Amino acid sequence: MMRRRSFLAAAGALSVGSLSGCTGLPGSGGGSSAPPLVENRPEAVYYPTHHEGMKMSGMKSQGNLRCALTYTFPHRFWLVTGRNREMVEINTGDSAHVMPVVWNQETGIVPPDANPQITVTQEGEQVTQLSPWAMISQPMGFHFGDNVQLSGDGTYQVEIRVGEPTTKRTGSFAENDRGVVTFSFEMEFSEESLEDISYTDIPAEQEGTVGAVSPMDMEMMPTTQVPSEDSLPGTVRGTAKSGDAVFVVTTLDDVTRFGGTENETYLAVSPRTPYNQYMLPLMSLSGTVERNGSTVFDDILQATIDPELNYHYGAVVSDVQSGDELTITVDAPPQTARHEGYETAFLEMPEMNLTL
Amino acid sequence: MKDPETIPRRDFLKSAVAIGGTAALSACLGREDADIPTGPSDLSSYPQRQHSWNNVLETDEAGNTLQPRHHVLLLLDYTEETPTESDRNTVEGALRGLEHAYERSNDGLLLTVSYSSAYFDRFDRSLPESVDLPPPKQLAPFEDPEFDTPDALVHLASDHAQAVLGADEALRGNKETLNGVEQPSKPLTDAFEVAERRTGFIGEGLPAENQDIEGIPDSKPVDEEAPLYMGFKSGFEKNQATEDRVTIQTGAFADGATQHLSKITLNLNQWYEQDSRSQRVSKMFCPFHAENDSVEGVGENLGTDSGMDDCPEAQEAARTKGVVGHSQKMVDVREDDSPIILRRDFDSTDEGKAGVHFLSLQRAITDFEDTREAMNGTDLVERSALGQRNNNGILQYMNVDRRGNYLVPPRRHRSLPVARPEEDG
Repeated sequence: MMRRRSFLAAAGALSVGSLSGCTGLPGSGGGSSAPPLVENRPEAVYYPTHHEGMKMSGMKSQGNLRCALTYTFPHRFWLVTGRNREMVEINTGDSAHVMPVVWNQETGIVPPDANPQITVTQEGEQVTQLSPWAMISQPMGFHFGDNVQLSGDGTYQVEIRVGEPTTKRTGSFAENDRGVVTFSFEMEFSEESLEDISYTDIPAEQEGTVGAVSPMDMEMMPTTQVPSEDSLPGTVRGTAKSGDAVFVVTTLDDVTRFGGTENETYLAVSPRTPYNQYMLPLMSLSGTVERNGSTVFDDILQATIDPELNYHYGAVVSDVQSGDELTITVDAPPQTARHEGYETAFLEMPEMNLTL
Repeated sequence: MKDPETIPRRDFLKSAVAIGGTAALSACLGREDADIPTGPSDLSSYPQRQHSWNNVLETDEAGNTLQPRHHVLLLLDYTEETPTESDRNTVEGALRGLEHAYERSNDGLLLTVSYSSAYFDRFDRSLPESVDLPPPKQLAPFEDPEFDTPDALVHLASDHAQAVLGADEALRGNKETLNGVEQPSKPLTDAFEVAERRTGFIGEGLPAENQDIEGIPDSKPVDEEAPLYMGFKSGFEKNQATEDRVTIQTGAFADGATQHLSKITLNLNQWYEQDSRSQRVSKMFCPFHAENDSVEGVGENLGTDSGMDDCPEAQEAARTKGVVGHSQKMVDVREDDSPIILRRDFDSTDEGKAGVHFLSLQRAITDFEDTREAMNGTDLVERSALGQRNNNGILQYMNVDRRGNYLVPPRRHRSLPVARPEEDG
């Protein structure tokens, strides 16, 4: 690991050719400096060219919610609508990639419906306002973020407004009936301090190969990892893969908190990224259960946040018997924006079949 | 006019309305080449429906009604507890002063005056049941608006900047004659105080001319032909409620309507710098239109509707495409295949920020609330890949700062009405 400025300077000195198309090298601040994309990227999670750390401006609490204001270098990323991805290049005016991290203090769960709205002002004048994108990255997992243009070095007032929940919540989530919450931060920003953020180059032989950068140390913030197969509650019935994502299926007899009655069963599907086990929100999933050739369940699997299952997709079913055939259909892949290394995966996601 | 040192004529006119005041007006009069017809001396034929504008507005080639290009909104506080007959006469006289001065059309001046529930709260008796006018409230899980509670709202609209500016100045007592017509000695501001002034514009060219503003990227992305900042036509004839549909049918306020006014900030950096055109079409109209290149330019090929018959239902798009268009979500709030609100919104540069003054008319405020609920798509969000705002129409790009609800009374009750006027006949 080394400082990004030093790395880019060294890289520039050693091998200008490898940085072709890379404008705004050292001296131009955040700018558009990112090495060129790996060629022949696999249709799977892959090692990007580099990864970077981040800086925290502050952390605030209100009721059950906690919010940290973090930022890093401006990043290129891809927006996803349906199965289409569109690359967002770093704009020359971009100062930083700003990420408000919002989580439930009791459970450490980062709700993907937080949809923070950021308003940046300086001396009472609005600098920018935006609703950052829902995104996934290899070092950080699920988060909200976007490249933001500030007006240079200085102190900024940053308001982060978090809306009321819309995703179904189950279990001990007092969060359900909270109103709109606003967190206020003061953010000291300088181009120079950005250069303190770690920048890790990935060796050329590893770039573009399947695999992922390990989760970064989130310090006081939670990760967005979902429980491992071993620690998921209920009876784990099997695992399937689609579009490089891993789907773990579990069933719970205690179904009342999901809106079922005593004799019913809760069918939960917990998708996660390979390697890093991050949640994969904003999908449309549906499922069918067939028993002896007849369909006993055919409906959507609803995105739900549960303190034990974390973010998952589920449905109440009459019962599940050994030998039942479960089909999971990805009607729409995760509509999160993607950082480098995730943009080719989780898009073409064929249906999965499991014998329970 | 040919002097290269002078500000281009249209560039000047854009800001004159936003600036306001006598200086802006007099400069405007010198530059805007307009011969505005005066109104009649006998106003008895004027319609009871203050909001009956459509038959005096122009239409585009496809037959869509074109809103007047320039707008001024005056939020007013009534200075007395109980309205007096003398103040009523002052208000009525001031409004008639404008109507004598300018023809009632887009080429002259169109106006409404409306009253909030805060105004009607001063009376012992509440509004009749035929009027649905609750105070404004939060209408989306992610918004936190402040609420406007002035007593009254005057909406001035014209294709000529000088007409809205002139009317504004006359109401404040700064014009003895307006368009050559003598104005009453008691201006509107003898009865009301102006609490806030808002301004805006709509129509081809105006958003592009006004795009050097916070909320629009510096790349000047707004199409010259776009009537609104987001770059597409809206308010298609078949996507608008009729004036009949929004008119209160019974009771003392029959021929009135309710009015919602929200103040929205637009944040179009993502819209223009990050989303592709295809994504913009998906989110404004529907993913089907994006896949099939159904929208040309600003949507001039669409005719008189946004082509929603071709798009699958919002629910299906949300489930299978992970994205739903703004227009697509509106389909379900139709009644007899027609929308239930009449949009008369326009864009704005107020406070140095790109924005929208979303003004709509509807029979009941609940009609607006139902429409807004459909726009939120919360039921879709709960059961699909849509985010609360992500890929959910155009919610990502706007922030509602303020909301207010008003009653546009019929003309006979437009000047400081009581909450329970006696029913006519």
